[in-house]
This record gives sequence, C-alpha cells and structure tokens, in this order.
Amino acid sequence: MTQTGNTRIAFIETLTEIAAQDPTAALVCADSILVVKGQAFAQKYPERFVDVGIAEQNAVACAAGMASCGLVPFVATYAGFITMRACEQVRTFVAYPHLNVKLIGANGGISAGEREGVTHQFFEDLGIVRTIAGITVVVPADEAQVRHATRAIHKTPGPAYMRIGSGRDPLVDCEDVPFELGKVRVLADHGNDVVLFANGFVVNRALAAADVLSRQGVHPTVVDVHTLKPLDREAIVDLLRQTGAAVTVEDHNIIGGLGSAIAELSAEACPTPVMRIGLRDTYPRSGEPGPLLDYYHIGVADIVEAAKRAMQMRDRKVR
Amino acid sequence: MTAVVLRIKSIQYRLRLLEYIKKAGAGHTGGSLSCVDILNVLYNRVLNVSPENFADSRRDRYIQSKGHSVEALYVVLADKGFFPESDLETLCRFRSPYVGHPTRKIRGIEQNTGALGHGLAFSVGVALAGKKDNADYRVYTLLGDGELAEGSNWESMLTAAHYHLDNLTAIVDRNQLQISGHTESVCRLECLTEKFQAFGWSVRSVDGHDVTALADVLGSIPFEVGKPSMVIARTIKGKDVSFMEHDAKWHHGVPSDEQYERARRELETLLMEAGA
Ligand SMILES: [Mg+2]
Repeated sequence: MTQTGNTRIAFIETLTEIAAQDPTAALVCADSILVVKGQAFAQKYPERFVDVGIAEQNAVACAAGMASCGLVPFVATYAGFITMRACEQVRTFVAYPHLNVKLIGANGGISAGEREGVTHQFFEDLGIVRTIAGITVVVPADEAQVRHATRAIHKTPGPAYMRIGSGRDPLVDCEDVPFELGKVRVLADHGNDVVLFANGFVVNRALAAADVLSRQGVHPTVVDVHTLKPLDREAIVDLLRQTGAAVTVEDHNIIGGLGSAIAELSAEACPTPVMRIGLRDTYPRSGEPGPLLDYYHIGVADIVEAAKRAMQMRDRKVR
Repeated sequence: MTAVVLRIKSIQYRLRLLEYIKKAGAGHTGGSLSCVDILNVLYNRVLNVSPENFADSRRDRYIQSKGHSVEALYVVLADKGFFPESDLETLCRFRSPYVGHPTRKIRGIEQNTGALGHGLAFSVGVALAGKKDNADYRVYTLLGDGELAEGSNWESMLTAAHYHLDNLTAIVDRNQLQISGHTESVCRLECLTEKFQAFGWSVRSVDGHDVTALADVLGSIPFEVGKPSMVIARTIKGKDVSFMEHDAKWHHGVPSDEQYERARRELETLLMEAGA
C-alpha cells in the first residue's frame, strides 16, 4: 500500500509560513478555501485573503490587478478551472504583462479524481500552460516537494503555475535529493541503459519500474522533471546522450505535457527513442488512483515494457 | 482648466487621433471619438496621475477596458507628457510599441487590455489592493457598452459590491453601437441602470460629451460611501465628425483622403466656434 501525503496542506502551510515573513503574500480563492484548507490562513491574515466566489476568471484577473500594486497573490483552486476557464486571463493578463501571480492548480491528473469524474480530473492543465510564454510550470512529486516548490516560485518573480493534487498524494522516498527550480532531480542512478523521466504523483511508479528493471539486469536512471518550464535542457540532453533510450511518465494526456516536452527537445537536440507513458488522449473513468492509473497503462509494468521497447529501438538503429 | 479649454482640447484630441489613424491606415475610429471627452476630463480634471508620479504607488489608476479605443488614450497621454507626440507617427508599424491595443510597454498605461471584459476585474484587484493597504488612491476603468455582454464584467461587479469598493469607478461609454450594429439589437443591455443598481453599484447617468457635467459627476465620487460607482456616459460613436456619428461602420473604419479632409475641416470649424 502506497503511503500518501497531502499536497494541498503542504501548499497552504508553506504559504502561511511565507506570509509570516512577506507581508505582500496573499491568497485568492474562488470559493475554494476548503479545497486548499485555507481557513487558518484567512483567519490569521484576513488582510491578505480574498474570495471572489465561484468565478475563476474574476479571481485570476483580480489577482493580476493586485500584483500590479505589489502584492504577490497565490490563486488557488482546481487546476482545470484556472487553466481552462480562466485561460485567457492567465495568458493575456498575467503572463503577457509578466505580473507576479502564482497559480496553484488542485486535482492535477486523473489519479486526483478518485470520486469526482472527468469534470474534476485535470489532465490538460500542463499542456495548456506550457504553451503560454513567460510562465514557470512546476509539477512537484509529493507533499515535501510542494513545500520546496511553493517557496521557490515565491522567491522567483514572475508568473508561475504549480500543480497540486487531491490531498491523497503518494509519497516519494527521495527527500535527500535537493529541489532546485529549473533543475532536474536524479532520484535513482542504476546505470545508463535507459532514462525514465517522470513528474508529479506518478514518480513513485517510475522508481518502482526502475527496481523491477534492475532486478532483470537493465540499469535505468530515474529523473524527476519537476520544472516543466523552463526545461533543464542541458541535463536532459546529457541523459539522452548517455542512455540513447528514454521513457516519460506523467499523469497527464500524452499530448502537451512531459512526454511532449522531452520528445520536442530530443528531436531537436539529440534524436532518441522516447516512449510516452500517460493518458492516451481519452476521457478517463474515475475510481481509486492505483487501479485507475494501471487501467490507463500508467502502471509499473507499462513503464518496464516501454523501457525495453525504447532500448530495442535504439539497438536496432545501431545495427 | 475651464470648460472652454477642455472643449478645445477635446476637438484637438479628435483631430490628432484621426491624423494618426489616417497615417497608420488602421484604428478604432468611432469608439475613440466617442470616449475623448471622458478621457479629457479624467486626465485633465480628475486623475492624480502624471509622468512625474507614475511610479508612485499612491497615484490614481486608470485602466481602459475598452482597449480598442487606444488611439484616444495615446493622444491624451502624449498631451500629458508621458511620451513625445512624434512617437505616434509610428503607430501600428513593425517594431513600434504603439500597437492597436494598450500595453504596459507604453509609459502611462497601467495594464495590457483590449481583449474585452477584463478591465473591470483587473480594476477590482487594484481597488482591493488599495483597500487592503489602506491606500487612498482611486481606480477608474472605462468600459465599452458592447463589452458588457461579457459575463466576466458581472462577476467583477459582484465582487466590487461585496467588498464595498467605493474607491472604484466604472464608466460605460454608452454609444449604443458595437461592431455589428446597435447594442440593443445585437444582445439587449437595457435597463442598464437598474441592472447595475441590482448588482450593488451606485449609478449616475451623464451626457458623455458635456465636459462640465462629466467633471461634476466624476468629481463627486464615491456617489455613496461603501459602494462602487458606475457612470453611464451617454455618448455618440464617431462624435464631432458628421458622417461618422451614429454609424457602426466607423467602428474601425479608416477615412479616405477625401473623407479625412472633410473630417479635418469639420473639426477645425468646431475649434473656431469653441473659441480657439
Ligand atoms: Mg459601443
């Protein structure tokens, strides 16, 4: 049984710590205070809390106005309501004028929609924000990483989007690998046979797949690409060169997210077989995260299989 | 600044904006002409904003939600000394920062706008920040009447009333026209006063070309303590150019050489009549 943490609480606790130091930090909700457990923040910092009601477009544009006056608003609600309903506000009124607004998207991925169905499962958010110029995109792997990422985006001026989960988010046992915005984290280095790039709440699956591969005599490297934008091009190209075979693992549509980002970079800088593991451009069912991810071929066995296919493609090319 | 001087300024602004639209071969002519008197009164009588205090966090804020009418804003900002008026010779040219909608790249402009229905929400954020910081600046935004069909405006109206933003004033350039025709035949807006009131705003209606009346109304804000203020400025799209008035085709029409000369002569006659 996977141990879980709570990325929503990790976010709000960190923001509360930040607010104790930085009087400009603010929380903007769209009737989403319960989503991010923001009650204590609102009580402690009523002058730094705004709820605009169920009106995400309003929330994002208001936050832009607040940022223009020197505040650092964190807009927190469901990932899809920020990136889809308020997409134009994010693009034209936050990113284009480069305003210091932080967007926190909950229920990122299909695994977050345990009880809720497609309306509350968001697997397009990263593809949408990634196409918007001038915005940092972060996909932390678990609650500990959310704490680091929240601090990092607060410290870095400019627009940012950070994905959080459902509040039942698997823990990754790699706390000792430091987090640096814009840099990949190498979580396991079994060797250079194949590289597994992963991010978000399926990083633990990539690590489990690496263990399976190792036992079978294949030696992978597992890399957490928590910053989807700007991408750590140098480190990723190095890894592609060293291994010549790659797999991407994400809880997102295979179009637009990590798989796309790595494939684009690979095609331009170091052509390498890249197998994408993710939701294969369909609308998922909902249910418990484990079986759900397995059903949509984001399982450990799928990653193992994909790694072998990537290596086969590489080796055929050599012959 | 007296009413006569303001009236003369308005006609001069109209002359200049037509000149730059003509040179650029593009622009939102009708809507720029309709909001000139509002901008004139704001910048010359109401707003505490100038090139000298533009970096001061206590300055008043003006956000032009109807970004299409940027040509009117450009000539007013040039007149106020935010940038040399000769810059406007480059309007809409490749590499010119003076593009067809407001951007923060231009000194004096608070926010990128022009995608309609967003200026009010942004202004609500600015007004909220002012309240939360106990700052006493005031926030003004100019809305087109056509853009009131965007639902985002009504979300923002709820928020402004809920937070008692009496430091916020929205002005509707009520020229009754949008690109496809009459606002009431495209998607009915009336009764606007009652709608705004029902959303918790204090509403006044004014002749949007009467500079004295505009100065009176905009000078008595907030209309009610604890409520945001809404000014319905009754205007004429294409104002002061006889053949452009009340005609939706001048929404972004560019005059021919002959039409431009005719418009210029008409405005110069008005200038003389005004006592310039
Ligand atoms: Mg109109």
